[in-house]
Amino acid sequence: MSVDLEKILRPVDSPMEPYEPKYMLLASGEAVVVREVDRDEIPDLLKYVEPLLHVERDYYDVVASRVYAELLGHYQYRFQDQYVLAVQIDGELAAIVNGRQVNPKLGLSLHTLAFRRGLRVGAHAFAAKMEYHFDQLGHDEVLIVAESPIGFRRWMIEYKLEKRFEVPHELGGVPSWALTRELFDRARSSLVVGRRPVPPELLEKAQAAILPPSDPPTPALDPLAATRAKYDPTATALMIERWEMEGRSEDA
Amino acid sequence: MAREIYAYRCRLCDTMHYPFRMVCSGCKQNDFFEFDTVPLPKAGKLLTFTKVYNLPAQYEVATLGLGIVELENGMRMLGQLDIDEPAIGMPVQGTVEIVREEPYENFYGMVFRAA
Amino acid sequence: MRDVYVAGIGITTFTRLEYALSEIASYASMMALKDAGVTEVDDVYVANMGGARVNHQTALASAVVDSLSLTPAGAAAIENGPASGGSAIKAGFQAVASGMDDIVLVAGAERMREVNNLEATDFVATLTHPIAEYIYGVTLPAHAAMFARLYMDKYGVTERHLAMVGVKNQNAALNNEWAHLQQEITLEGILDSPEAMTNNPYVAEPLRFFDACPVSDGGAALILVSKEKAQELGRPLIRISGVGQATDTHAVFEREDPTDLLAVRKAAADAFAMAGLTPEDVDVAELHDAFTILEIAESEEVGFFPKGEGHIALEKGETALGGKIPINVGGGLKGRGHPVGATGIAQAWEIVTQLRGDGGTRQVEDAKVGFTCNFGGFGNNVVCLTFVRED
Repeated sequence: MSVDLEKILRPVDSPMEPYEPKYMLLASGEAVVVREVDRDEIPDLLKYVEPLLHVERDYYDVVASRVYAELLGHYQYRFQDQYVLAVQIDGELAAIVNGRQVNPKLGLSLHTLAFRRGLRVGAHAFAAKMEYHFDQLGHDEVLIVAESPIGFRRWMIEYKLEKRFEVPHELGGVPSWALTRELFDRARSSLVVGRRPVPPELLEKAQAAILPPSDPPTPALDPLAATRAKYDPTATALMIERWEMEGRSEDA
Repeated sequence: MAREIYAYRCRLCDTMHYPFRMVCSGCKQNDFFEFDTVPLPKAGKLLTFTKVYNLPAQYEVATLGLGIVELENGMRMLGQLDIDEPAIGMPVQGTVEIVREEPYENFYGMVFRAA
Repeated sequence: MRDVYVAGIGITTFTRLEYALSEIASYASMMALKDAGVTEVDDVYVANMGGARVNHQTALASAVVDSLSLTPAGAAAIENGPASGGSAIKAGFQAVASGMDDIVLVAGAERMREVNNLEATDFVATLTHPIAEYIYGVTLPAHAAMFARLYMDKYGVTERHLAMVGVKNQNAALNNEWAHLQQEITLEGILDSPEAMTNNPYVAEPLRFFDACPVSDGGAALILVSKEKAQELGRPLIRISGVGQATDTHAVFEREDPTDLLAVRKAAADAFAMAGLTPEDVDVAELHDAFTILEIAESEEVGFFPKGEGHIALEKGETALGGKIPINVGGGLKGRGHPVGATGIAQAWEIVTQLRGDGGTRQVEDAKVGFTCNFGGFGNNVVCLTFVRED
């Protein structure tokens, strides 16, 4: 009986060409590998995403909670036609990007979550994702939304996305933007980078394991520091909280 | 009627100023507003230029061309550029158009194109 | 005129801070007060550019003097664009040198990240000429870019030279625990590799991402005292020996020669003249590298190298730690960060640290004479200072 139920509950994935890995150099001179993630590697990713649920700045908490749900859904066979790419530096996770196929001509970008800041890892990862949609999956258009103002500035304005406001994006029903094949081809030379094939040693290191990010974004010392600063410009409440956390008392 | 950008000529010593100065930099003897307005020439040559990608909040475009132009009369000014491939020394021609839009107010300035 | 000494210094980490602007200023000030060993001052000067516009805080010095329990001392906020810090030091210097005050607190702070990047860019752009520049959408990077293009055309400076300054200063910041950026970069990553254009995109051609300093929050402070007070407090004797300030036309296009920074030239010359020193006497310098091209241009205008040869000296490594004239060994604005009001004070903080011998892994050996250049507007208001160690 349970086998029949699973047949009904589990979505049937369309055939999608697997992502061909590539590599590039960051500003720091470090090499990164972008590759597709297997289902059995998802539990590792979940482990690394989970702490970001509590980082209350730059919309990390919103993005991380949605990514967590998407990855878990993918892992448990409750999400149709999703792909997950990992960006790794020396095996260490630097970013996760994911998206899905709506139909053979239309893609949908889900998220870009960067664990390493200051090196435009997110920009590289997003471009890799778009390249995958157009060059390998054969889509003519990709629907996109942005949760963070940084994302909006980078993608909507830099790429000059077209408005598709009549299409509610599944991430909260907000009006969608679209990257068309024409726009992508125009932007391709400046925005899509990376080389193929990946040198064997680099690829081997990346495929061996997804190592934990060494310097991920962490919650502020005071868990409500980010929000509290908005309402308490003198920061005294913040200071008192911190003292309590440090165990300081009033006794002489 | 075409709009103009004005320079200010001191009535005492004829020194030209753009932008406006309260005290004439030539003679320093002028009285308040003792200047004549003189329209700036619109033709000149491009001294230097840039294409700006990181724009302030009010601009909804992806990039903005800016340049410093040496006008026919030797004075210089900053203007927006509507030029695909600017080059130092290239002759340019300006018109006065809207260069900045704010809620309830538009600002006019010189926009230069290849002459 | 009496001699003026720096008896205490303080600084916050330059990064994104969640504290209010007055807290940032007070934090650094408290460090400086403790360093000097004083709890009372005669006057307080607080340098800041954006308080009113970005942080909804005016009369900043009045907030700080009370927060530090320094009332009823006099207090005033000083706003001079990016040269606010230098101007605040000059004001404090004049107070002590004139004999009017014996102990002065000079602080600087900025909290730019209270608003997003687009608003921050616009706020800094308000220092440009309102009718002839601002309305065109000009930004500080745009000015620096147009200046850089002329420099490249006239003197043969290339994008590679600009990148070299960026790499030198951002990597130097790794030796400075207070610096904003703690990320190593390489020339290959930002210039040579096929991915360089994405790693290091144009901000305003020809300036790229790593040619510009980051947007930072932070504060720094100094305690300036008379000689008697300095000896009484038993602090190392670091004297401000020269102060120079000069201005130039507001609109950049009105400068006599658009590749000259005359205000830098005059301010530096005046500071050296007052101190009885020449550029050759300087052991360690802090120049205002809000954009990499400015470090090259300033190194020439202040007199370290002949005009048009700054990039050649850079190539030879003369401006790195261990070179002929180490510049920005603590990261400069590029690596340390640029909370606008705090920068002028932070430059002095670095020099005093060096002259005291507390520079750690970035210590310039046997530094006796230091120099700072705080560049306001786009080169139309510059404050230069010289510092000497008196053993």
